[in-house]
Amino acid sequence: MSTTNTYDPITLEIIQNSFQAAADEMFVAMQKTAMSSIIYEVLDMGTAVLDQYGELASSGAGIPAFVGVLDKTCKVVIDTIGLDDINEGDVFLTNDPYWGAVTHLNDIVVTMPVFQDGELIAWTANIAHNSDVGGMAPGSASGDATEIYQEGLRLPPVKAIAKGETVRAVMDIIRLNSRLPDISSGDLWAAIASVRTGERRLREVAARYGVDAFRAASRDFMDYGERVSRQALKTLPKGTFELSEEIDDGRVLHVAITISDDAFIVDLTNNPEQSTAPTNVSRDGAMIPVQMIFKSLTDSSITANSGTFRPIQLLTTPGTVFDPVEPAPMGFYYDLMLPIYDLIWRCLAKEVPDILGAGHFASVCATFIGGTHPDTGRPYSIIEPQIGGWGASGQRDGNSAMFSGVHGDTFNCPAEINEARNGLFVKRMELNTEPGGEGRFTGGRGIVMEYELRADDGHATLAFTRSKFPPWAVDGGVEGSPNYCEVIKAEDGSSSRYSFASGLPTQPGDVIRIVTGIGGGVGDPKDRDPKLVEQDIRNGLIDADRAAAVYGA
Amino acid sequence: MSTDNTSRVATDVGGTFTDLVLFEVDADTGETSIRTAKAATTPPDFDKGVLEVFDRANVSFPEIASHVHGTTVVINAITERKGAKVGLITTEGFRDTLEIARGNRPDFFNLDYKKPAPFVPRYLRQEVPGRLTYQGEEREPVDLSGLGQIVDDFRSDGVEAIAVCLLHSWANAAHEAQVVDEVRRLWPEVSVVASNDITREWREYERTSTAVLSAYVQPTAQRYLRQLESQLEAKSLGGPTLVMQSNCGVGSVEAVAATPIAMVESGPASGFMGAAELGRQIGEPNVLALDIGGTTAKCSLIEDGRVRVMTDYWLERDRSSAGYPAMVPVVDLVEIGNGGGSIAWVDDFQKLHVGPQSAGAIPGPASYGQGGIEATTTDANLWLGRISQDDFCGGEITPDMKMTEKALREVGDRMGVSVDEAARGIVRIANNNMVNALKLISLNRGYDPRDFALVAFGGGGPMHALALATELGVQKVVIPAAASVFSAWGMISSDLRRDYFVTTLADVDEESASTISAAFSETEQRGRDEFADEGIDPATVTTERFGNFRYQGQEHTVEVLLEDDDLLPGGTERLAERFRAVYEAEYTYRLDVPVEMVGLHLVAKVKSAGHSPKAADLGPEDSTGAKRSVRSIDYALDGVHDADVFDAELLNPGMVFAGPAVVEGAGTSVLVHPGWRAAVDPYRNLILEHQATDTE
Repeated sequence: MSTTNTYDPITLEIIQNSFQAAADEMFVAMQKTAMSSIIYEVLDMGTAVLDQYGELASSGAGIPAFVGVLDKTCKVVIDTIGLDDINEGDVFLTNDPYWGAVTHLNDIVVTMPVFQDGELIAWTANIAHNSDVGGMAPGSASGDATEIYQEGLRLPPVKAIAKGETVRAVMDIIRLNSRLPDISSGDLWAAIASVRTGERRLREVAARYGVDAFRAASRDFMDYGERVSRQALKTLPKGTFELSEEIDDGRVLHVAITISDDAFIVDLTNNPEQSTAPTNVSRDGAMIPVQMIFKSLTDSSITANSGTFRPIQLLTTPGTVFDPVEPAPMGFYYDLMLPIYDLIWRCLAKEVPDILGAGHFASVCATFIGGTHPDTGRPYSIIEPQIGGWGASGQRDGNSAMFSGVHGDTFNCPAEINEARNGLFVKRMELNTEPGGEGRFTGGRGIVMEYELRADDGHATLAFTRSKFPPWAVDGGVEGSPNYCEVIKAEDGSSSRYSFASGLPTQPGDVIRIVTGIGGGVGDPKDRDPKLVEQDIRNGLIDADRAAAVYGA
Repeated sequence: MSTDNTSRVATDVGGTFTDLVLFEVDADTGETSIRTAKAATTPPDFDKGVLEVFDRANVSFPEIASHVHGTTVVINAITERKGAKVGLITTEGFRDTLEIARGNRPDFFNLDYKKPAPFVPRYLRQEVPGRLTYQGEEREPVDLSGLGQIVDDFRSDGVEAIAVCLLHSWANAAHEAQVVDEVRRLWPEVSVVASNDITREWREYERTSTAVLSAYVQPTAQRYLRQLESQLEAKSLGGPTLVMQSNCGVGSVEAVAATPIAMVESGPASGFMGAAELGRQIGEPNVLALDIGGTTAKCSLIEDGRVRVMTDYWLERDRSSAGYPAMVPVVDLVEIGNGGGSIAWVDDFQKLHVGPQSAGAIPGPASYGQGGIEATTTDANLWLGRISQDDFCGGEITPDMKMTEKALREVGDRMGVSVDEAARGIVRIANNNMVNALKLISLNRGYDPRDFALVAFGGGGPMHALALATELGVQKVVIPAAASVFSAWGMISSDLRRDYFVTTLADVDEESASTISAAFSETEQRGRDEFADEGIDPATVTTERFGNFRYQGQEHTVEVLLEDDDLLPGGTERLAERFRAVYEAEYTYRLDVPVEMVGLHLVAKVKSAGHSPKAADLGPEDSTGAKRSVRSIDYALDGVHDADVFDAELLNPGMVFAGPAVVEGAGTSVLVHPGWRAAVDPYRNLILEHQATDTE
């Protein structure tokens, strides 16, 4: 068979464990040193260990959305820079989705080659959301952008550290283009520390076991990842499954999924033309939701590597929203990525009900609130996703108040820290008890959260999807409730409801009320266990009248 | 022998055994001695086992100067969900904080994730109006008018304990105090706890969860501690009973009963405290401490004689669950599901894994012959001769070698290797898991393990220690004389200790020095007052100041020890520089950004008398008298060798021998690999050092 057989399996496994440990360690290093809450709390970041060719050997824990993207970037870095110009101690950066960086310009990828005994043996890489990379609006992503040039500084693969020496020009360009230069460079250094941590650890491993064993372990690990996927693939239902769905902005998305014994083919060719609005997803970015669902369906337990995803084929058409060409903007790529993820999920929910439950609130519910902190006089900016309700499954009620499927070990911001850090009041943060999501098993609850603003010069941008079409139900359950927000003005008490608003000015006393959806229900509500209905009533989640009407109690 | 009330005793209730260590000093000669005993643990009436072990050790109660007690009663009540029915009172708008939690999903590819259920259902979570700001100012007075109804409802719903957690009580405890007073007035008998009694740190979910967990275990813990105390009083115990806490210190029964959640990790804490104390005795202030038990291995790093204590503690948290936070001072430890009973398994793709599933006490490893059919680490160690068949489980069990072989063969067949190779593979994978845990507490935080001595204890520690040391480059390993009852041993030396963590926001500059200084002074006063309330002379209380610092804009902090003049004029820049140095050591870079303080950590303690054992004179080096036999042992990566077998009971201070060897008896087996030299020190600890050889 292959040459890997010359190494004993235990040695290979020990080296493979160290790939995972290194990727995890890089993740924690980034999280602990970052300057932006979107990195240290929201975890809009990912880490990876790659082989010498840029193939993914292991991804870090924390979040699913960036597992399996850094190999693409790393390969573009190798191709662009050329092996002759890649040296020990170098660190490379790129942020452009048309140059391998996958998502949007805010996400800077940092990669570092790993050398042992003078040979290139691996790469370490990190991707993280930078709070501001220039562009037409604070925070860089703007709903008004029509071209990527308006979304910030574009970096093709460039060398930021050469043989251990900082290339000051590159760092200066990044600082100069950011509205938040200290935060940007703080986050960039955190990312550099992260890839260096991984590099050090991998060199130790290669020194201990030898370069050849190191490479054999990496090859063997990817083959292992592939075997796990292929075996699980055999157990999935076979056929072609298709679904179309209208999303809030009126576009209709379409997916066709073909599952065979040896392939998982996702066809996104039949989708709208690319947009001049910033809701396009690069082809590499469109791969993310496909990989996430595939991983959940095949083996949710181990870390992923390039082998894991070998059975996947993704079909797209250049010039469409899932394969746009320059200069289509991508600032809000996630507002299209999450709907397509949700659509793939929904398309397969009936086929694999033990893994996939009913629809969840399926939105980042991106909330940007900024202004001057009334107590410190320093600018503050909240950039955060919201938590909402998850769908029921065939065995139990859905989880309440969780981040969406593209998030992972992501933490919400405590009210006490929010009030101190951002100079506002959090009036309430409680479960959403609106109707919706009833069934034999009910959807989990979203939340109601109220920010009362104090800043004189405040502004807010709110991007909520699934505002028009609530989370979908399964098998006779009731659909969930929509995501939306309301702005209640202090001056006249008037209230306006939004799903998307860009750059709203705010005054002290204004209240921004976030309401996130209830997940979809599963099964006929009449079949719900009366004891559970009684509990719902007692817990104030539903009133007795509605319970009688819906559950026939 | 006259003892004149200098004897100190410790009892440690574990899952299977209740251990006792008695430390005696002969008043005439100054000779010190240690007595140990074990008895079966007796759930649910744990005090029976405690009295039994006193009996077995033949302890004379009136001659005891102090008794330190460690118990798992708190963690058991939580794990088995056998605590009280709790009602929660929170700030208006925040009754669901406990259920919302933080929204995170660690098992992120699992779309059928199950969020941990809250310990208090929604109908028992009630609100009161009233708000404080983060600066501790009152924005809206607390409205107590609804409490009558709330308390009535709680009463009729069978609530047994009440937790109170209001927003910003970390900055100002007044509203919580008002609510607690009113609840006590309305319902004097009920057990009630306010979050600020336990923690003064921000983050409302974590604080609420802490108060709820404390209320949940309070009735059980109080009943248990009072019962034990009165039983011991009835026996005329000569001194006070002190209770081991998770911060490596002890507290009075009264203090611990008020916030029993502080006991949650007392078992591991006392072992690590013991490792620090042992390090002090033998002149090794920097220690990697490793405790390998039946189901898990735990490790902690001790720097300069200090165990590290933090409040970032979560119960039941792992890769598949978000768990529950308890913001109490707990020794900083890494725990992995890798103990003697951890099950080895081969996945569908011929990959070998060890743990985290454990065979437990029943049925136990295959070799126990009690119906266990899966191979465990213990089985592999036994098969490879690393554990003697004659000395298995202290000689109490005759191992079933047929079952052992069968279980290991199953593993080998699935991998396509021999039984020997399978056993060796299990040991290597288990060792690798433990090496990774030790790296997490050292390399991962900027420490080089080669600068540390490895102190290994618990049933499995001495068996694996040298392989781990070799892998990490550690040159010196210490196996304590009391390795098998080390938690109890550690308790004897534990100080009376209180850790205060207080969220304190300040820039680190000359202007803020007085603010920071005042916050420390206020907390120090609180520490002295609380000790004084227990009848302790404030003059005997010593304090240590730590600060949690970060670069402005960051979230996570780094803890730095403050020196006396840091807060005097000209001192803050030195302090900031010390932070930058510690930060750089851990994260490889420094920033030109101001440094800010987020919280203080004050340690207030009253030194215990410690062990202060008397060093024995070293005898001759010749160890042949302690040699029992020669046996073939498989040292995995270090090969198969004929090893000298030593009897632990016969080893005397001064004796020296070299690996390959094994020391048996005293409840554990010390594996001495080739290339290592062992010496018995004046306290009967085994000191193992790596020998430089010509070939290296």
